[in-house]
Amino acid sequence: MSRDPLILGMLAVSLGLFTAVLLIPMFEIVANAFWYQGSPSTYWLEYVLRDPFYFPVSAWVDGRVPFLHLEITTVGSPYTIRGDTLIISGVDYGVILNTLMVAVTVTLISTAIGVTLAFFFSRYSFPGANALRTAMMVPILTTPFVGAVGLRRMISIHGTLNTIFYDYLHLLPYRVVFDGLAAVILVQSLVFYPIVMINAYATMVSIDPTMEEQAEIFGSSGFKLFRTITLPLAMPGIEAGSLLVFILSLEDLGTPIVFQGSNAEKLLTYQIFTKIFSQTGLILPEGTALAFYLLFFSMVAFFVIRKYVALKQYAMLSRGGTWRPRTRRIGAARTILVYAVSLTILFFALLPHIGVILLSVADTWGPSPIPESFSLKNFRFIVEDHLTFSSVRNSLIYSTVATLIIMVVGSGAAYVVSREGGRWSEILNYLATMPIAVPGIVVAAGLFYTYSATPLNPVINPAYLLTLAYSVRRMPFTVRSAFAGMLQTHVNLEEAAWNLGASRTRAFFNVVVPLVLPNVIGGAMLSFVYCMSEVSTSLVLGGANPAFAPITWKMADILYSLGGGQFPTAALGVLLMSLQLAAIVGSNVLLKQRVSALVGA
Amino acid sequence: MVSIRTEEITKRFGDVVALDGVSLNVREGEFFALLGPSGCGKTTLLRVIAGLERQDEGRVYFDGRDVSDLPPHERRVAMVFQNYALWPHMTVFDNVAYGLKLKGLPKEEIAEKVRWALRLVRLEGMEDRTPFQLSGGQQQRVALARALAVEPEALLLDEPLSNLDAKLRLEMRGELRKLQRELGVTAVYVTHDQEEAMSLADRIAVMNRGRILQVGTPAEIYERPANYFVADFIGQSTFIPGTVRSASGEVYEVETNLGVMRAVPSTPGSDFHPGEEVILAVRPENLRLGCGRGSNEVEVKVVHVAYLGKHLRLLGEADGIRVVAELDKDSEVGSGETVRLCADPEDVLIIRRS
Ligand SMILES: Nc1ncnc2c1ncn2[C@@H]1O[C@H](COP(=O)(O)OP(=O)(O)OP(=O)(O)O)[C@@H](O)[C@H]1O
Ligand SMILES: [Mg+2]
Repeated sequence: MSRDPLILGMLAVSLGLFTAVLLIPMFEIVANAFWYQGSPSTYWLEYVLRDPFYFPVSAWVDGRVPFLHLEITTVGSPYTIRGDTLIISGVDYGVILNTLMVAVTVTLISTAIGVTLAFFFSRYSFPGANALRTAMMVPILTTPFVGAVGLRRMISIHGTLNTIFYDYLHLLPYRVVFDGLAAVILVQSLVFYPIVMINAYATMVSIDPTMEEQAEIFGSSGFKLFRTITLPLAMPGIEAGSLLVFILSLEDLGTPIVFQGSNAEKLLTYQIFTKIFSQTGLILPEGTALAFYLLFFSMVAFFVIRKYVALKQYAMLSRGGTWRPRTRRIGAARTILVYAVSLTILFFALLPHIGVILLSVADTWGPSPIPESFSLKNFRFIVEDHLTFSSVRNSLIYSTVATLIIMVVGSGAAYVVSREGGRWSEILNYLATMPIAVPGIVVAAGLFYTYSATPLNPVINPAYLLTLAYSVRRMPFTVRSAFAGMLQTHVNLEEAAWNLGASRTRAFFNVVVPLVLPNVIGGAMLSFVYCMSEVSTSLVLGGANPAFAPITWKMADILYSLGGGQFPTAALGVLLMSLQLAAIVGSNVLLKQRVSALVGA
Repeated sequence: MVSIRTEEITKRFGDVVALDGVSLNVREGEFFALLGPSGCGKTTLLRVIAGLERQDEGRVYFDGRDVSDLPPHERRVAMVFQNYALWPHMTVFDNVAYGLKLKGLPKEEIAEKVRWALRLVRLEGMEDRTPFQLSGGQQQRVALARALAVEPEALLLDEPLSNLDAKLRLEMRGELRKLQRELGVTAVYVTHDQEEAMSLADRIAVMNRGRILQVGTPAEIYERPANYFVADFIGQSTFIPGTVRSASGEVYEVETNLGVMRAVPSTPGSDFHPGEEVILAVRPENLRLGCGRGSNEVEVKVVHVAYLGKHLRLLGEADGIRVVAELDKDSEVGSGETVRLCADPEDVLIIRRS
């Protein structure tokens, strides 16, 4: 490890930030989960497991035969029929199993969709393939919070779909309503499949075509070829994408909030959320136990990504030879099939967006497929309502400051990790990607708990903690793209400057910074976008003092306090989506690369 | 084992004409090399033969059977790719067994054939390794074993040795040739290394820009290059431009800047008419110091003399023409001197300009 002041400074600042905003809060939560009546204990962790609300299986041992007794609390039916309405709400197995079940189901569905689409786009060539591929990525533009509001409008009893398919076309035997856990699964799958798609696609196009050709020479084709060669070779990318979806599903708080009032409330994030009292910073010990379980699940997934998947990266055994991604021109019938599958998925995936956009310009919207009358009053509301307007302004300020911190600390961290070996650099490497794996609600709870007795107390002013929380949680985007830039910037370029007498610090600012700036800005734009749309820390910390609350807190607030609150919420959602679109397009132009590198784990 | 014939194969990629009317005849059991510079279309031709690439025009025949419309596996050929294309998610055993499994052979027979193939390439005991745990040479041999295991009618090899270091390359050359002889399998071997082609092949096709320029045994190609490209691409030569003056039987008189030279057509039977612009080519070993009667003489200014063990290699210059000669190792020449080099008329080859 170099003793250069620049390196040491960067290391100290970034380690300090991660320790203060990530590690200590995590530690506080875990420590509390393992604490009962003044001493270490697993009381609360067991308590949670004994309550059928959280965990439906209880087991105990006694003297009778058989010795081990299991009792499983009866669970409800996955759907109910009420009059002409079929309500699909999923089975409730208690909070812990629900959370895992939702995450696993969402992961499976988005993986199936994502891999199928990736296969189409990486192996078939047909008219409009590129445009279709880009279109299929659009759902990534939403946040679950906003998407759920829009989707709920489209799929509710008198929502657009039921009106069209039941009332008008009579295609459905019932009005179909997704609610509760089933709705959460639906929303998350539609929002997250592009993450698997983009990762799977990136690996599939990077598979050396001769791998498949060799198998074809032996007579392998169709599904057999896919199952024995393509799929196993694409597995590292698929797994990375799937595990990321698993983590994102685990930590999603926005969707259960939108569907509250149903069994969607029986998810870990939501339960933890309700056990934090924003006005005092108090967290019920039950809440910390739940947070521990949530953290545990997502950390396991994170370590699997980092160890197991990374090891299996089949750095293709390729040396020379012509390499052109191999796509097969397909006939009309198959092209139609590809379009049919893709557009069906896209139709459902875009429902949330369509819903949000329609809501945002709706004046009133009763039981009809589209609003009865349109107006811009929802957007006017954003500007005119004092607290709403200031929430937008607050978010812009917090996110901008957080992004500046991210740019400085993130490039420093990327620089240290790319240029220095050694234990500290390795630790930093882990820390810089770990925020992906720490659920926002855990960070929020931990920060609140840790800093409530300090001047940073969010009840006084949540601005500081929010900004710090944003900067740490959204750091990975920038670190990853800065790191990619550093790797491309050969160390020789710096050495040449040192050779001419420049100090390391000087060479860093004169040589490295200008060269990697596009990467840093590209990553920072994404970081900014995701700061703006951050839900869990915003709700928990922002809720402590509404005058300083950010946009997402205000959205939740409007959604449930005003009558017809969904309209202005949707307008805020459209505002967020436009910002996302602008930033992602901007960052792609700057980075001239696929979003994959930034979204991939 | 099959004979392979291609008939007027043309293949375009957009504006690039990768193959331009290629006709070729590979005999049964022959070791046939496709030799040419990078980008000349060798791989493309091999892929057309394998059925991986569909030609725009022309046909491919195996034993006189038109296979142009057959998919790769029905052609019963095996291919070894330049990058080996070993599947990293499978063990050596599974790699070699893949083709056999697809044939639906019973487990026992598969295991036996895999063992047989691995023994052929001297890799017994490596069954359970993954490609990552093998050296470059071992990977190459697994690829070869995988191809041989299915007992193909023809073996198509695309620069299989180009990723190995020089020593290993020499070793593998010998083994490859031995295996091919033992199995009697027809082999088409792509390379851009002329020495490799010369030392391995029964016959060679020299390609350039999607066309076949000459087909022949290594000796024919070296001694009787059909045109300037082949003479230049294979081995070294001294090239002297000139104009045909007259002919007397097989021997022509050609006017050059270095005086009138007596020379013979490089390919027997070709005719040149007086006034035709040609190039004369002389191989280095055909230039010597002592001149006899009737031989051609040139005065050469010695630029550099290199000691190569058996010979001296003389690099010289005569009126702007680069001269290469291989001389006896105890010849007395030094840089800066002017020497007289001689070549017999039958060693001075007349080549067409284009
Ligand atoms: N799939 C393809 N798409 C477009 N052009 C191609 C494709 N395959 C080959 N070409 C072009 O066709 C020409 C012949 O290529 P080919 O790979 O057959 O050359 P080669 O003789 O094998 O060269 P090398 O020795 O470098 O492997 C080249 O100009 C190449 O760029
Ligand atoms: Mg090639």
